Amino acid sequence: MSFLGNYIYYIGAFGLILIGLYIILVKHNLIKVIIGLGILDTGVNLFLISVGYITKGTAPIFSSPGIDSEYMVDPVPQALVLTAIVISVAVLALALSLAIRLYQHYGTLNLRKIREQRW
Amino acid sequence: MVNPVLLIAIPLGLAFAIPLFALFWKGAAKYIPPVALVFNLVVSLSLLAKVLENPVIISIGGWQPPFCINLVAGTVGVLFSAIIALVGLLVSVYALDYIKEGATEKYHMLYLLLLTGATGVVLTGDIFNLFVFFEILCISSYALVAYLRDKAGIESAVKYLIQGAVGSSLLLIGIGLLYGLFGALNMADIAQNIKSVSPISVFVPMVLIVTGLGVEAAIFPLNAWLPDAHSSAPSSISAILSGIAIEVGLYAVARVIFTIFGTSSILLFLALLGILTLLIGEMCAFSQNNIKRMLAYSSVGQIGLILFALAIATSYGVTGGLFQLVSHTLSKALLFLAAGYMIYRAGSMEISALEGMGKKMPLTCLAFTIGAFSLVGLPPFMGFPSKFLIVRAALATKETLFVVLISLALLGTVIEGAYFFRVVQVLYFQPVRYEKSSKGIKGEKPNPGSKDAPITALIPMFIFVVLIIVVGIYPKLVTDVLNSAASELLSRTEYIKAVLDSIL
Repeated sequence: MSFLGNYIYYIGAFGLILIGLYIILVKHNLIKVIIGLGILDTGVNLFLISVGYITKGTAPIFSSPGIDSEYMVDPVPQALVLTAIVISVAVLALALSLAIRLYQHYGTLNLRKIREQRW
Repeated sequence: MVNPVLLIAIPLGLAFAIPLFALFWKGAAKYIPPVALVFNLVVSLSLLAKVLENPVIISIGGWQPPFCINLVAGTVGVLFSAIIALVGLLVSVYALDYIKEGATEKYHMLYLLLLTGATGVVLTGDIFNLFVFFEILCISSYALVAYLRDKAGIESAVKYLIQGAVGSSLLLIGIGLLYGLFGALNMADIAQNIKSVSPISVFVPMVLIVTGLGVEAAIFPLNAWLPDAHSSAPSSISAILSGIAIEVGLYAVARVIFTIFGTSSILLFLALLGILTLLIGEMCAFSQNNIKRMLAYSSVGQIGLILFALAIATSYGVTGGLFQLVSHTLSKALLFLAAGYMIYRAGSMEISALEGMGKKMPLTCLAFTIGAFSLVGLPPFMGFPSKFLIVRAALATKETLFVVLISLALLGTVIEGAYFFRVVQVLYFQPVRYEKSSKGIKGEKPNPGSKDAPITALIPMFIFVVLIIVVGIYPKLVTDVLNSAASELLSRTEYIKAVLDSIL
């Protein structure tokens, strides 16, 4: 129990990362690949958050007296995750707009059938 | 003193101002990147003399070094930002006439953003900030590859985006692990404490970060996107992607390995990968019929050579690597710019369609030839001293392995010579070919006639040619700066001391 309690976020984060990578590597449909990218990004963000988390943590604000600074969670990873979320939104939006264009050109989103470019 | 922050702030601000200017006067958009880059070039050159003595370290927000985001304008950073500004400026002048179709103001905005990202990567001293600037660079280059909106461009951009996004995720995981280990994001602070944890727990983030950056730097198993992306983008963007984007990736790899991790454990592996990248790139380039794909694969080969030189990790080796990097940036940008108008006139990217171009557009073809000779490493041009330094550095190690590897690299150069001379032969020693089919590719419509490239294309090409020849004849112009840059990359204790002792 304590092992799970301590590491559950890390297990979840790396589970999401692996699921995302699996989808990107295996799926043929571009939309599914983009969903995989989204899951991968979520996993990375969860991982970053859990790096700064401590059990029974509170928000890192010295506002009301009686808050123990020992239990404050680290605010830096949260700031990092905000940035990372913005970046991944931009990447996903660009990917989806490219997917629309790709569909207009080829009439399919199956990446195995889109093979104009070769070695 | 000029503040290095301006190198990032001015182009970033102007980039987002471009759509606003375009609302009132659409033609204004294309003049803003040259203005911003002239500014960057002047600031970088004026900083260069100063940072040769002492690096300039700027802490943003007034916090002290381990906690703040800082910019480290050392010799390497300022040298790179000067090169980025120079090449960016010349290519933006080229683009004044070259980019006519589509939403041009978006092109110019993304172009300036790409260069801002590249400048940020080379100047930052904070590893998360490095990730953010890398993403600015990557996202704008994904969009620019798809700028022409044709079949090939969209497909390449999708490939590039998927691989690049996975690479950035790996990079971010590595940064997260480092933060978990050290509780800091400042590169100097991490470097100072790196010995305090067990090597194996540092190894995992190192592999993740090098893999993530390796996608952008196009190191061999991670470079499947490069030939597609570089050959389907507009030629001005190919020049920037080949000349700047992958070099910045290599800089980041070198910075991470030499400064943050200070390890020699994977240098040998990187040297082997470099030679593998070189041979595969040159052999694929040799078998191409499409001129832009050939140039793209040649970039893969050059990246391999630079990686090998950096992995020698002696003073000579790193100097040679940086020299080769500068020479590749100038020569490859020149080649893509010249190829852009040759393709435009020929209406096709096939090498065979360029027959007799030497008579139709003599100046452009002369520029192409000089770029090709420089890249192969013929003596009066810039490629010769840089390759010579690398060979000398490899021989000076007196290790059998490096001697064997450099001989393989020279074999790669022979292949490189073979395919470049083939193109030069087609340009000059084949009879003029008359248009058989006028079916051009989108964005580069056939425009037969004996006109040379317009003056806005000839001036940048001329400046590149002059630089290549002058530095080739008198390499001492740059070797002092490169030596200082190499010693900054190699001496991590001085870097740590300079950053952590700088208190405003």
